[in-house]
Amino acid sequence: MNEELDSQLSAMFDDELPQGECELLARRLSRDAALQARWGRYAAIGAVVRGDVRVGSSVAYKVHAVIAAESAPAAQRPVAFAGSGGRTASLWLRGVAGAALAASVAAVSILWLQGGLPGGAGVLVARAPVPAAAAPETRASYVVPRAVESRMTVPATELANYVVAHSEFSTPVSRRNLLSALMASEPAAVGAPEQSLGSVDDPNPHADDAR
Amino acid sequence: MQMMRVSERLAWLALALAAASSALAQEPRQWLERMNQALTSRNYDGVFSHWQDGRVEMLRIIHRNQNGQVTERLASLDGSGREFIRTGTELTCYLPDKRTVLVESQPGGAGSLLASFPSFDEKSAGFYDIQEVMRTRINRRDTRVIAVTPRDEFRYGYRLWIDETTAMPLKTQLCDAHGRIIEQVVFASLTLASHIADAAFRPEVATDGFQWLRNDPTPVGAGVPNTSALWSALKLPPGFRMTVRSAQVLPGAHDPVAHLVFTDGLASVSVFVESRSAEVPRDQPALSGVASVGSASAFSTVIDGHKVTAVGEVPPATVRFIASSVKRSELPLAAGPSGH
Repeated sequence: MNEELDSQLSAMFDDELPQGECELLARRLSRDAALQARWGRYAAIGAVVRGDVRVGSSVAYKVHAVIAAESAPAAQRPVAFAGSGGRTASLWLRGVAGAALAASVAAVSILWLQGGLPGGAGVLVARAPVPAAAAPETRASYVVPRAVESRMTVPATELANYVVAHSEFSTPVSRRNLLSALMASEPAAVGAPEQSLGSVDDPNPHADDAR
Repeated sequence: MQMMRVSERLAWLALALAAASSALAQEPRQWLERMNQALTSRNYDGVFSHWQDGRVEMLRIIHRNQNGQVTERLASLDGSGREFIRTGTELTCYLPDKRTVLVESQPGGAGSLLASFPSFDEKSAGFYDIQEVMRTRINRRDTRVIAVTPRDEFRYGYRLWIDETTAMPLKTQLCDAHGRIIEQVVFASLTLASHIADAAFRPEVATDGFQWLRNDPTPVGAGVPNTSALWSALKLPPGFRMTVRSAQVLPGAHDPVAHLVFTDGLASVSVFVESRSAEVPRDQPALSGVASVGSASAFSTVIDGHKVTAVGEVPPATVRFIASSVKRSELPLAAGPSGH
Protein backbone atom coordinates (compact mmCIF):
# COMPACT_ATOMS: atom_id res chain seq x y z
CA MET A 1 0.00 0.00 0.00
CA ASN A 2 2.79 2.37 0.93
CA GLU A 3 4.63 1.56 -2.23
CA GLU A 4 1.52 2.22 -4.23
CA LEU A 5 1.05 5.57 -2.52
CA ASP A 6 4.69 6.48 -3.04
CA SER A 7 4.33 5.56 -6.67
CA GLN A 8 1.23 7.73 -6.97
CA LEU A 9 2.89 10.64 -5.20
CA SER A 10 5.91 10.32 -7.40
CA ALA A 11 3.78 10.22 -10.52
CA MET A 12 1.80 13.20 -9.28
CA PHE A 13 4.96 15.15 -8.66
CA ASP A 14 6.21 14.29 -12.11
CA ASP A 15 2.92 15.32 -13.68
CA GLU A 16 2.30 11.78 -14.90
CA LEU A 17 -0.74 10.86 -12.79
CA PRO A 18 -4.10 10.98 -14.60
CA GLN A 19 -6.12 13.99 -13.57
CA GLY A 20 -8.89 11.97 -11.92
CA GLU A 21 -6.39 10.19 -9.71
CA CYS A 22 -4.69 13.50 -9.02
CA GLU A 23 -7.92 14.91 -7.62
CA LEU A 24 -8.48 11.87 -5.42
CA LEU A 25 -4.93 11.89 -4.16
CA ALA A 26 -4.99 15.64 -3.56
CA ARG A 27 -8.12 15.28 -1.43
CA ARG A 28 -6.52 12.50 0.57
CA LEU A 29 -3.32 14.53 0.84
CA SER A 30 -5.20 17.46 2.32
CA ARG A 31 -6.64 15.22 5.09
CA ASP A 32 -3.90 12.72 5.80
CA ALA A 33 -1.03 14.05 7.92
CA ALA A 34 1.10 10.95 7.33
CA LEU A 35 0.68 11.32 3.62
CA GLN A 36 1.60 14.99 3.86
CA ALA A 37 4.79 14.03 5.66
CA ARG A 38 5.56 11.54 2.90
CA TRP A 39 5.01 14.23 0.30
CA GLY A 40 7.29 16.46 2.33
CA ARG A 41 10.05 13.92 2.06
CA TYR A 42 10.33 14.54 -1.62
CA ALA A 43 13.45 16.62 -1.67
CA ALA A 44 12.30 18.70 -4.58
CA ILE A 45 9.44 20.18 -2.61
CA GLY A 46 11.98 22.00 -0.49
CA ALA A 47 13.36 23.64 -3.57
CA VAL A 48 9.86 24.48 -4.72
CA VAL A 49 8.90 26.07 -1.44
CA ARG A 50 12.13 28.05 -1.37
CA GLY A 51 11.33 29.42 -4.78
CA ASP A 52 13.91 27.44 -6.68
CA VAL A 53 11.72 25.74 -9.25
CA ARG A 54 14.49 24.86 -11.63
CA VAL A 55 14.67 21.31 -10.38
CA GLY A 56 10.94 20.81 -10.31
CA SER A 57 8.60 19.48 -12.92
CA SER A 58 5.64 21.32 -14.31
CA VAL A 59 3.50 20.11 -11.43
CA ALA A 60 6.16 21.28 -9.03
CA TYR A 61 5.95 24.64 -10.69
CA LYS A 62 2.16 24.67 -10.38
CA VAL A 63 2.39 23.73 -6.73
CA HIS A 64 4.87 26.51 -6.22
CA ALA A 65 2.50 28.92 -7.93
CA VAL A 66 -0.34 27.87 -5.66
CA ILE A 67 1.87 28.16 -2.60
CA ALA A 68 2.88 31.61 -3.70
CA ALA A 69 -0.76 32.48 -4.25
CA GLU A 70 -1.77 31.11 -0.86
CA SER A 71 1.09 32.89 0.84
CA ALA A 72 0.57 36.21 -0.88
CA PRO A 73 -1.83 38.79 0.48
CA ALA A 74 -5.32 38.40 -0.91
CA ALA A 75 -5.01 41.44 -3.11
CA GLN A 76 -1.93 40.02 -4.81
CA ARG A 77 -3.17 36.54 -5.57
CA PRO A 78 -3.28 35.51 -9.20
CA VAL A 79 -6.70 36.09 -10.68
CA ALA A 80 -6.69 32.68 -12.32
CA PHE A 81 -7.50 30.99 -9.04
CA ALA A 82 -10.52 33.16 -8.46
CA GLY A 83 -12.07 32.42 -11.83
CA SER A 84 -13.96 29.41 -13.06
CA GLY A 85 -11.68 28.52 -15.94
CA GLY A 86 -9.55 25.43 -15.38
CA ARG A 87 -11.59 24.73 -12.32
CA THR A 88 -10.78 21.07 -12.02
CA ALA A 89 -7.07 21.63 -12.09
CA SER A 90 -7.23 24.53 -9.67
CA LEU A 91 -9.36 22.53 -7.25
CA TRP A 92 -6.89 19.73 -6.85
CA LEU A 93 -4.03 22.16 -6.85
CA ARG A 94 -5.68 23.98 -3.99
CA GLY A 95 -5.79 20.75 -2.07
CA VAL A 96 -2.17 20.09 -2.87
CA ALA A 97 -1.28 23.62 -1.89
CA GLY A 98 -2.69 23.17 1.56
CA ALA A 99 -0.88 19.93 1.98
CA ALA A 100 2.30 21.26 0.50
CA LEU A 101 2.25 24.22 2.83
CA ALA A 102 2.00 21.88 5.78
CA ALA A 103 4.54 19.51 4.33
CA SER A 104 6.97 22.28 3.60
CA VAL A 105 7.14 23.09 7.26
CA ALA A 106 7.13 19.47 8.28
CA ALA A 107 10.02 18.83 5.93
CA VAL A 108 12.18 21.21 7.91
CA SER A 109 10.89 20.75 11.39
CA ILE A 110 7.68 20.60 13.33
CA LEU A 111 6.67 24.00 14.50
CA TRP A 112 5.74 24.10 18.11
CA LEU A 113 4.78 27.17 20.01
CA GLN A 114 4.35 27.31 23.70
CA GLY A 115 2.37 30.23 24.96
CA GLY A 116 4.35 31.01 28.08
CA LEU A 117 3.93 34.66 28.86
CA PRO A 118 6.88 35.78 30.94
CA GLY A 119 5.97 39.38 30.51
CA GLY A 120 2.34 38.81 31.34
CA ALA A 121 -0.54 40.23 29.42
CA GLY A 122 0.90 43.66 29.84
CA VAL A 123 3.24 43.01 26.99
CA LEU A 124 0.39 42.95 24.56
CA VAL A 125 -1.50 45.92 25.89
CA ALA A 126 -2.36 48.14 22.99
CA ARG A 127 -1.20 51.66 23.16
CA ALA A 128 -3.62 54.52 22.84
CA PRO A 129 -4.65 55.19 19.27
CA VAL A 130 -2.79 58.02 17.67
CA PRO A 131 -4.17 60.41 15.07
CA ALA A 132 -4.26 59.31 11.48
CA ALA A 133 -1.04 59.63 9.56
CA ALA A 134 -0.51 62.87 7.74
CA ALA A 135 0.46 62.76 4.11
CA PRO A 136 4.10 63.51 3.51
CA GLU A 137 4.85 67.04 2.57
CA THR A 138 6.93 66.14 -0.44
CA ARG A 139 6.59 62.93 -2.29
CA ALA A 140 5.39 64.18 -5.62
CA SER A 141 8.65 63.70 -7.42
CA TYR A 142 11.80 61.81 -6.85
CA VAL A 143 14.44 60.29 -9.00
CA VAL A 144 16.23 57.16 -7.97
CA PRO A 145 19.82 57.30 -9.10
CA ARG A 146 21.21 54.39 -11.04
CA ALA A 147 23.21 52.00 -8.93
CA VAL A 148 26.82 51.54 -9.89
CA GLU A 149 27.78 47.90 -9.94
CA SER A 150 31.40 48.31 -9.02
CA ARG A 151 33.08 46.59 -6.13
CA MET A 152 33.33 47.90 -2.63
CA THR A 153 36.18 50.17 -1.61
CA VAL A 154 36.40 48.85 1.92
CA PRO A 155 37.87 45.54 2.97
CA ALA A 156 35.16 42.99 3.64
CA THR A 157 36.03 42.60 7.31
CA GLU A 158 35.59 46.31 7.71
CA LEU A 159 32.25 46.04 5.94
CA ALA A 160 31.24 43.35 8.41
CA ASN A 161 32.18 45.71 11.24
CA TYR A 162 30.06 48.42 9.71
CA VAL A 163 27.07 46.11 9.37
CA VAL A 164 27.40 44.99 12.99
CA ALA A 165 27.71 48.58 14.22
CA HIS A 166 24.78 49.64 12.06
CA SER A 167 22.57 46.81 13.26
CA GLU A 168 22.44 48.43 16.70
CA PHE A 169 20.31 51.17 15.20
CA SER A 170 17.88 49.02 13.24
CA THR A 171 14.45 47.71 14.12
CA PRO A 172 14.39 44.32 15.88
CA VAL A 173 13.39 42.52 12.68
CA SER A 174 16.04 44.28 10.60
CA ARG A 175 18.68 43.69 13.24
CA ARG A 176 17.99 39.99 13.29
CA ASN A 177 17.95 39.86 9.49
CA LEU A 178 21.18 41.82 9.17
CA LEU A 179 23.04 39.56 11.56
CA SER A 180 21.52 36.46 9.97
CA ALA A 181 22.66 37.62 6.55
CA LEU A 182 26.11 38.36 7.86
CA MET A 183 26.23 34.92 9.36
CA ALA A 184 25.09 33.30 6.14
CA SER A 185 27.46 35.28 3.93
CA GLU A 186 30.00 33.42 1.91
CA PRO A 187 33.50 34.03 3.26
CA ALA A 188 34.35 35.60 -0.09
CA ALA A 189 31.60 38.13 0.35
CA VAL A 190 32.62 39.21 3.80
CA GLY A 191 36.22 38.29 4.17
CA ALA A 192 37.70 39.00 0.77
CA PRO A 193 40.66 41.32 0.48
CA GLU A 194 40.18 44.79 -0.81
CA GLN A 195 38.71 44.76 -4.27
CA SER A 196 39.51 46.76 -7.33
CA LEU A 197 37.45 49.86 -7.66
CA GLY A 198 35.21 51.31 -10.25
CA SER A 199 34.31 54.85 -11.13
CA VAL A 200 31.12 56.56 -10.20
CA ASP A 201 29.02 59.14 -11.91
CA ASP A 202 27.71 62.12 -10.07
CA PRO A 203 24.46 61.45 -8.25
CA ASN A 204 22.32 64.49 -7.80
CA PRO A 205 18.76 63.29 -7.54
CA HIS A 206 16.03 65.60 -6.42
CA ALA A 207 15.30 65.23 -2.78
CA ASP A 208 14.46 66.99 0.38
CA ASP A 209 17.02 69.11 2.04
CA ALA A 210 18.55 67.55 5.09
CA ARG A 211 16.88 68.37 8.30
CA MET B 1 -35.29 69.93 23.45
CA GLN B 2 -36.05 66.63 21.86
CA MET B 3 -34.34 67.80 18.65
CA MET B 4 -31.28 68.77 20.62
CA ARG B 5 -31.10 65.33 22.06
CA VAL B 6 -31.34 63.74 18.64
CA SER B 7 -28.65 65.98 17.20
CA GLU B 8 -26.49 65.37 20.22
CA ARG B 9 -26.92 61.65 19.77
CA LEU B 10 -26.04 61.94 16.09
CA ALA B 11 -22.96 63.95 16.96
CA TRP B 12 -21.89 61.39 19.51
CA LEU B 13 -22.57 58.62 17.03
CA ALA B 14 -20.46 60.36 14.38
CA LEU B 15 -17.71 60.87 16.91
CA ALA B 16 -17.83 57.24 17.93
CA LEU B 17 -17.75 56.11 14.31
CA ALA B 18 -14.79 58.38 13.59
CA ALA B 19 -12.99 57.07 16.64
CA ALA B 20 -13.72 53.48 15.64
CA SER B 21 -12.52 54.16 12.10
CA SER B 22 -9.37 55.79 13.40
CA ALA B 23 -8.74 52.90 15.77
CA LEU B 24 -9.21 50.47 12.91
CA ALA B 25 -6.68 52.34 10.80
CA GLN B 26 -4.22 52.40 13.65
CA GLU B 27 -4.49 48.72 14.49
CA PRO B 28 -1.90 47.49 11.93
CA ARG B 29 0.61 49.95 13.36
CA GLN B 30 -0.16 48.71 16.84
CA TRP B 31 0.64 45.20 15.67
CA LEU B 32 4.05 46.43 14.55
CA GLU B 33 4.62 47.99 17.96
CA ARG B 34 3.49 44.81 19.71
CA MET B 35 5.79 42.76 17.51
CA ASN B 36 8.80 44.94 18.29
CA GLN B 37 7.91 44.79 21.96
CA ALA B 38 7.63 41.00 21.83
CA LEU B 39 10.92 40.57 19.97
CA THR B 40 12.81 42.60 22.55
CA SER B 41 11.05 41.86 25.81
CA ARG B 42 10.17 38.16 25.62
CA ASN B 43 12.32 35.13 26.27
CA TYR B 44 12.35 32.79 23.29
CA ASP B 45 14.28 30.02 21.62
CA GLY B 46 13.61 29.37 17.96
CA VAL B 47 14.94 27.84 14.78
CA PHE B 48 14.30 29.63 11.54
CA SER B 49 15.24 29.53 7.89
CA HIS B 50 16.78 32.61 6.34
CA TRP B 51 16.29 32.86 2.59
CA GLN B 52 18.06 35.44 0.53
CA ASP B 53 19.08 35.45 -3.09
CA GLY B 54 18.39 31.76 -3.57
CA ARG B 55 20.34 30.66 -0.51
CA VAL B 56 18.76 29.12 2.56
CA GLU B 57 20.46 28.87 5.92
CA MET B 58 19.03 27.48 9.12
CA LEU B 59 19.76 29.47 12.24
CA ARG B 60 18.87 29.29 15.89
CA ILE B 61 18.09 32.33 17.99
CA ILE B 62 17.88 32.37 21.77
CA HIS B 63 16.78 35.65 23.30
CA ARG B 64 16.42 36.59 26.95
CA ASN B 65 15.42 39.84 28.59
CA GLN B 66 16.14 39.63 32.28
CA ASN B 67 15.31 42.81 34.12
CA GLY B 68 16.12 44.85 31.04
CA GLN B 69 19.44 43.10 30.37
CA VAL B 70 19.31 41.58 26.90
CA THR B 71 21.22 38.40 26.17
CA GLU B 72 20.97 36.85 22.75
CA ARG B 73 22.64 34.06 20.86
CA LEU B 74 22.33 33.65 17.11
CA ALA B 75 23.97 30.54 15.74
CA SER B 76 24.29 29.08 12.26
CA LEU B 77 23.11 25.48 12.15
CA ASP B 78 24.67 24.98 8.73
CA GLY B 79 28.20 24.95 7.42
CA SER B 80 29.97 28.03 8.75
CA GLY B 81 29.39 27.41 12.46
CA ARG B 82 29.32 31.14 13.08
CA GLU B 83 27.80 32.45 16.29
CA PHE B 84 26.89 35.94 17.44
CA ILE B 85 26.37 36.41 21.17
CA ARG B 86 25.09 39.64 22.65
CA THR B 87 25.40 40.37 26.32
CA GLY B 88 24.05 43.76 27.23
CA THR B 89 25.72 46.19 24.87
CA GLU B 90 28.55 43.87 23.85
CA LEU B 91 28.22 41.79 20.72
CA THR B 92 30.75 39.00 20.15
CA CYS B 93 30.95 37.50 16.67
CA TYR B 94 32.58 34.07 16.48
CA LEU B 95 33.73 33.40 12.92
CA PRO B 96 35.38 29.96 13.01
CA ASP B 97 35.71 29.86 9.23
CA LYS B 98 37.97 32.93 9.52
CA ARG B 99 39.46 31.94 12.88
CA THR B 100 38.47 35.36 14.10
CA VAL B 101 36.38 36.78 16.95
CA LEU B 102 35.03 40.32 16.65
CA VAL B 103 33.94 42.06 19.84
CA GLU B 104 31.85 45.16 19.41
CA SER B 105 31.10 47.12 22.57
CA GLN B 106 28.77 50.04 22.60
CA PRO B 107 29.38 52.60 25.32
CA GLY B 108 26.32 53.36 27.40
CA GLY B 109 24.00 51.63 29.78
CA ALA B 110 22.27 48.32 29.40
CA GLY B 111 19.14 50.02 28.21
CA SER B 112 20.75 51.78 25.29
CA LEU B 113 20.22 48.83 22.98
CA LEU B 114 16.47 49.05 23.29
CA ALA B 115 16.57 52.82 23.17
CA SER B 116 18.36 52.89 19.82
CA PHE B 117 15.44 51.60 17.75
CA PRO B 118 14.09 53.90 15.09
CA SER B 119 10.93 55.62 16.21
CA PHE B 120 7.97 55.18 13.89
CA ASP B 121 5.95 58.38 14.12
CA GLU B 122 3.37 60.28 12.14
CA LYS B 123 5.91 61.53 9.62
CA SER B 124 7.16 57.99 9.10
CA ALA B 125 3.65 56.76 8.42
CA GLY B 126 3.45 59.07 5.44
CA PHE B 127 6.08 57.09 3.58
CA TYR B 128 4.51 53.67 3.98
CA ASP B 129 1.09 52.11 3.58
CA ILE B 130 0.50 49.82 6.54
CA GLN B 131 -2.41 47.45 6.23
CA GLU B 132 -3.66 44.20 7.63
CA VAL B 133 -4.15 42.23 4.45
CA MET B 134 -5.48 39.00 5.86
CA ARG B 135 -5.68 36.63 8.77
CA THR B 136 -4.31 33.19 8.25
CA ARG B 137 -2.88 30.25 10.12
CA ILE B 138 0.71 29.14 10.11
CA ASN B 139 0.95 25.62 11.45
CA ARG B 140 -2.12 25.90 13.62
CA ARG B 141 -1.30 29.37 14.91
CA ASP B 142 -3.59 32.31 14.08
CA THR B 143 -1.63 35.14 12.53
CA ARG B 144 -2.31 38.63 11.26
CA VAL B 145 -0.58 39.44 8.01
CA ILE B 146 0.57 43.04 8.06
CA ALA B 147 1.85 44.57 4.83
CA VAL B 148 4.15 47.57 5.06
CA THR B 149 4.41 48.98 1.55
CA PRO B 150 6.82 51.78 0.70
CA ARG B 151 5.46 54.71 -1.27
CA ASP B 152 8.67 55.29 -3.18
CA GLU B 153 11.76 53.38 -4.17
CA PHE B 154 14.05 54.71 -1.47
CA ARG B 155 12.99 52.06 1.04
CA TYR B 156 11.92 48.45 1.29
CA GLY B 157 8.64 47.03 2.51
CA TYR B 158 7.67 44.14 4.71
CA ARG B 159 5.07 41.44 4.97
CA LEU B 160 4.80 40.15 8.50
CA TRP B 161 2.88 37.13 9.79
CA ILE B 162 2.36 38.08 13.43
CA ASP B 163 1.12 35.51 15.92
CA GLU B 164 -2.13 36.77 17.44
CA THR B 165 -1.41 35.41 20.91
CA THR B 166 2.24 36.29 21.40
CA ALA B 167 2.80 39.04 18.77
CA MET B 168 5.91 37.19 17.63
CA PRO B 169 6.55 37.29 13.88
CA LEU B 170 6.40 33.70 12.63
CA LYS B 171 7.30 34.70 9.10
CA THR B 172 8.72 37.90 7.64
CA GLN B 173 9.39 38.97 4.11
CA LEU B 174 11.40 41.96 3.00
CA CYS B 175 10.11 43.24 -0.32
CA ASP B 176 11.15 45.90 -2.78
CA ALA B 177 8.86 48.65 -3.99
CA HIS B 178 7.39 46.28 -6.59
CA GLY B 179 6.53 43.63 -4.00
CA ARG B 180 9.32 41.26 -5.01
CA ILE B 181 10.65 39.25 -2.09
CA ILE B 182 14.26 40.03 -1.26
CA GLU B 183 14.63 38.17 1.99
CA GLN B 184 12.45 35.76 3.96
CA VAL B 185 12.60 34.38 7.46
CA VAL B 186 10.29 31.54 8.53
CA PHE B 187 10.32 30.03 11.99
CA ALA B 188 10.31 26.26 12.01
CA SER B 189 10.13 26.12 15.79
CA LEU B 190 9.65 28.71 18.45
CA THR B 191 9.43 28.24 22.18
CA LEU B 192 8.57 31.00 24.60
CA ALA B 193 9.92 30.38 28.07
CA SER B 194 9.66 32.13 31.39
CA HIS B 195 13.35 31.52 32.05
CA ILE B 196 16.37 30.63 29.95
CA ALA B 197 19.52 29.49 31.73
CA ASP B 198 22.89 31.18 31.23
CA ALA B 199 24.27 27.96 29.74
CA ALA B 200 22.15 28.51 26.64
CA PHE B 201 24.25 31.55 25.78
CA ARG B 202 27.66 29.90 25.85
CA PRO B 203 29.33 29.55 22.43
CA GLU B 204 30.01 26.12 21.03
CA VAL B 205 33.01 27.44 19.11
CA ALA B 206 36.48 26.56 20.44
CA THR B 207 38.53 29.71 19.94
CA ASP B 208 42.06 28.38 20.47
CA GLY B 209 44.42 30.21 18.14
CA PHE B 210 41.76 32.62 16.96
CA GLN B 211 42.49 36.27 16.26
CA TRP B 212 40.49 38.54 18.59
CA LEU B 213 39.52 41.97 17.30
CA ARG B 214 38.04 44.17 19.97
CA ASN B 215 36.97 47.77 19.84
CA ASP B 216 37.64 50.30 22.55
CA PRO B 217 34.31 50.90 24.24
CA THR B 218 35.58 54.09 25.85
CA PRO B 219 33.32 56.92 24.74
CA VAL B 220 35.04 59.47 22.60
CA GLY B 221 35.75 62.27 25.01
CA ALA B 222 38.45 64.54 26.23
CA GLY B 223 41.34 62.50 24.88
CA VAL B 224 39.98 61.95 21.38
CA PRO B 225 38.43 64.61 19.19
CA ASN B 226 34.85 63.89 18.23
CA THR B 227 35.11 64.39 14.50
CA SER B 228 31.50 63.36 13.97
CA ALA B 229 30.42 66.92 14.68
CA LEU B 230 32.17 67.99 11.49
CA TRP B 231 30.00 65.87 9.24
CA SER B 232 26.41 66.08 8.08
CA ALA B 233 24.30 65.40 5.00
CA LEU B 234 23.31 68.25 2.75
CA LYS B 235 20.45 66.33 1.17
CA LEU B 236 18.51 63.27 2.17
CA PRO B 237 15.90 61.07 0.50
CA PRO B 238 12.35 62.07 1.44
CA GLY B 239 11.45 61.21 5.01
CA PHE B 240 14.96 60.50 6.29
CA ARG B 241 16.38 62.51 9.18
CA MET B 242 19.53 62.29 11.26
CA THR B 243 18.95 60.72 14.66
CA VAL B 244 22.42 59.85 15.91
CA ARG B 245 25.79 61.51 15.57
CA SER B 246 28.59 59.78 17.43
CA ALA B 247 32.15 58.56 17.14
CA GLN B 248 33.40 55.09 17.89
CA VAL B 249 36.40 52.86 17.43
CA LEU B 250 35.55 49.75 15.45
CA PRO B 251 37.15 46.38 16.21
CA GLY B 252 40.67 46.18 14.81
CA ALA B 253 40.90 49.92 14.13
CA HIS B 254 43.04 52.53 15.88
CA ASP B 255 41.23 55.73 15.09
CA PRO B 256 37.62 56.57 15.81
CA VAL B 257 35.18 56.82 12.94
CA ALA B 258 32.34 59.28 12.81
CA HIS B 259 29.04 57.41 12.86
CA LEU B 260 25.90 59.16 11.67
CA VAL B 261 22.51 57.44 11.63
CA PHE B 262 19.65 58.48 9.38
CA THR B 263 16.20 56.95 9.60
CA ASP B 264 12.69 57.36 8.27
CA GLY B 265 11.35 55.67 11.38
CA LEU B 266 11.49 52.16 9.94
CA ALA B 267 14.50 51.90 7.65
CA SER B 268 17.82 53.21 8.83
CA VAL B 269 21.16 54.02 7.25
CA SER B 270 24.49 54.42 9.01
CA VAL B 271 27.23 56.57 7.56
CA PHE B 272 30.79 55.95 8.70
CA VAL B 273 33.45 58.56 8.02
CA GLU B 274 37.11 57.84 8.59
CA SER B 275 40.40 59.33 7.53
CA ARG B 276 42.05 57.62 4.59
CA SER B 277 45.24 55.85 5.43
CA ALA B 278 48.49 57.79 5.12
CA GLU B 279 49.56 55.72 2.12
CA VAL B 280 46.69 57.01 0.04
CA PRO B 281 47.54 60.36 -1.54
CA ARG B 282 44.97 63.00 -0.74
CA ASP B 283 44.81 64.07 -4.37
CA GLN B 284 43.96 60.60 -5.59
CA PRO B 285 40.62 60.67 -7.44
CA ALA B 286 37.62 59.63 -5.43
CA LEU B 287 36.65 56.04 -6.09
CA SER B 288 33.32 54.57 -5.22
CA GLY B 289 31.64 51.23 -5.07
CA VAL B 290 28.62 49.28 -3.93
CA ALA B 291 28.33 46.06 -1.98
CA SER B 292 25.65 44.13 -0.17
CA VAL B 293 25.40 41.90 2.85
CA GLY B 294 22.09 40.12 2.73
CA SER B 295 19.44 42.74 2.18
CA ALA B 296 21.74 45.49 3.44
CA SER B 297 23.28 47.72 0.85
CA ALA B 298 26.56 49.54 1.25
CA PHE B 299 28.15 52.31 -0.74
CA SER B 300 31.59 53.75 -0.18
CA THR B 301 33.16 56.85 -1.63
CA VAL B 302 35.87 59.34 -0.77
CA ILE B 303 34.94 62.88 0.19
CA ASP B 304 37.42 65.54 1.14
CA GLY B 305 40.15 63.04 1.91
CA HIS B 306 37.90 60.83 4.03
CA LYS B 307 36.37 57.49 3.29
CA VAL B 308 32.59 57.71 3.61
CA THR B 309 30.63 54.47 3.76
CA ALA B 310 26.84 54.22 4.04
CA VAL B 311 25.24 50.94 5.15
CA GLY B 312 21.57 50.19 5.59
CA GLU B 313 18.66 47.89 4.92
CA VAL B 314 17.54 50.04 2.01
CA PRO B 315 17.93 49.85 -1.78
CA PRO B 316 21.45 50.51 -3.16
CA ALA B 317 20.31 53.86 -4.59
CA THR B 318 19.47 55.12 -1.11
CA VAL B 319 22.85 54.41 0.49
CA ARG B 320 24.53 55.87 -2.56
CA PHE B 321 22.40 59.00 -2.32
CA ILE B 322 23.12 59.53 1.35
CA ALA B 323 26.84 58.77 1.22
CA SER B 324 27.29 61.10 -1.72
CA SER B 325 25.49 63.89 0.13
CA VAL B 326 27.71 63.86 3.20
CA LYS B 327 29.80 66.97 3.54
CA ARG B 328 32.35 68.26 5.97
CA SER B 329 31.87 71.50 7.81
CA GLU B 330 34.74 73.81 8.64
CA LEU B 331 33.63 74.16 12.23
CA PRO B 332 32.08 71.56 14.52
CA LEU B 333 28.31 71.85 14.51
CA ALA B 334 27.02 72.96 17.86
CA ALA B 335 23.58 71.43 17.62
CA GLY B 336 22.35 68.11 16.42
CA PRO B 337 21.55 64.65 17.63
CA SER B 338 24.08 62.82 19.70
CA GLY B 339 24.51 59.12 20.02
CA HIS B 340 25.55 57.00 22.91
